[in-house]
Amino acid sequence: MSVRKSHASLPRAIISVAAALALSSIQARAAGTPIPHGTLELIAEKQWIAAGHPFNVALRFELGKGWHVYWVNPGDSGEPPRVTWDLPDGIKADAIEWPAPRRLGTSTIVDYGYEDGVTLIVPMRAGANLSSQNPVQIAASVKVLVCREMCIPGKAQVSLTLPVKLQSPPASAQNAQFFTEARKAWPRPAPASWKFSIAQTNDSFVLTANLGHKITGAIFFPLAESQVSNAAPQTLVTTGTGFTLTLRKSDQLLKPIARLKGVLVLSGEQAYSIDAPIGKPVATSPPGSK
Amino acid sequence: MKRSTLSLIIVAIILCAAPLLLAAAKVGDPAPTFTATASDGKTYKLGDYRGKYVVLEWHNNGCPYVGKQYDSGNMQKLQKQWTGKGVVWFTILSSAPGKQGFVTASDENAYITKMQAAPTAALLDPSGQIGHLYDAKTSPQMVVINPQGVVIYDGAIDDKPTTDLADVPGATNYVSLALEQSMAGKPVATPATRPYGCSVKYSDSSH
Repeated sequence: MSVRKSHASLPRAIISVAAALALSSIQARAAGTPIPHGTLELIAEKQWIAAGHPFNVALRFELGKGWHVYWVNPGDSGEPPRVTWDLPDGIKADAIEWPAPRRLGTSTIVDYGYEDGVTLIVPMRAGANLSSQNPVQIAASVKVLVCREMCIPGKAQVSLTLPVKLQSPPASAQNAQFFTEARKAWPRPAPASWKFSIAQTNDSFVLTANLGHKITGAIFFPLAESQVSNAAPQTLVTTGTGFTLTLRKSDQLLKPIARLKGVLVLSGEQAYSIDAPIGKPVATSPPGSK
Repeated sequence: MKRSTLSLIIVAIILCAAPLLLAAAKVGDPAPTFTATASDGKTYKLGDYRGKYVVLEWHNNGCPYVGKQYDSGNMQKLQKQWTGKGVVWFTILSSAPGKQGFVTASDENAYITKMQAAPTAALLDPSGQIGHLYDAKTSPQMVVINPQGVVIYDGAIDDKPTTDLADVPGATNYVSLALEQSMAGKPVATPATRPYGCSVKYSDSSH
């Protein structure tokens, strides 16, 4: 929406500018759509799309207290949100950037997810040929399972309309915080100086990490289903410079795997993405013994 | 009592108790035995069905994944199809009292009548003993036991882990596949899958 210069009086020009700003901020955020025990919004990080440049939108789930939705690997039960995008020509969606999950459940049934809500950032790409003439509508059909003592499946249609311009867009004032918070919860790539190796026995993977410093705790969240047992305790042995973490194999792991990918949460705080090769099976002595 | 008889009795007791001490049964393991009262008031003991295929179906009538199978008529169809071929089909209710999905015998009988379900029996497991014996994690979760008493399948009912009724007709049903393949003397191609559904509501469940 452009502000036309005119010979009209200054108040009219101010009203036009105010209307343009208001309209652009409204367009950057769609109203919350009801889902079971919560709402879902599709929000944009910036006020418009710059043709030829990537941009970010997010699916923001807000839930009633204690209700949760699931991570990409939901764990023993549940199902992650499933998104089907309806995008115009020239706009492409990349994969969801999942914040580090939490362990939910009991000693025998362990799931991975987010309580009370989560913001899922989705990077998008805008073709260079995208016309500035018309705003674009980005829409999605989202299926979500919301659980607490019981599970309720929901489906929501969300959409967002954004102008397209050539110039670089400013941030959306009211959405900026949601994107900042979500990014803080992303797993970081592990520092290059850290060394990981994974050995395996008949029934477990043993992750050895050399970080150069001590840690007080480590929890591993497998990215794929059916590789690591979710409920089995993860036995941690710390050393001065790292740790070993024994992960029981899943009962559904029927074929050997070459790599283990997942999220490692250290000392209860920072989450790291790891992707390490698995060594051939050996009979290892128990961790901690020489 | 003769000493040798006493020794035999002690060994027998240990062997009977052993399944309770082992980690929960996995595919290829002997199916842990159990005795339970069903909603029909009768007592059923797994060991009595040696020589037959047995299907265990973990159930919770409030779970949308179970609803998908029953509202589509699919579970009832499977129950009729396979019990008609001599398979023993046990629906198992492992929700603890006060937890979602807990049912009394009369609740369950009313449900069976309303849904026109056709299990051999619906076993009441409010203590979760049978559930824990098989490490049942979700409803539905399906276990298939062969006539030799060995678990040959454990996991999801099919390959479409959703709550959508539309996903039922095209789904590959792992229970039917396991029974067909085993009955034909072939190995079960997919013996274990991640069961999908709502968590079983044992007494310690909060989610």
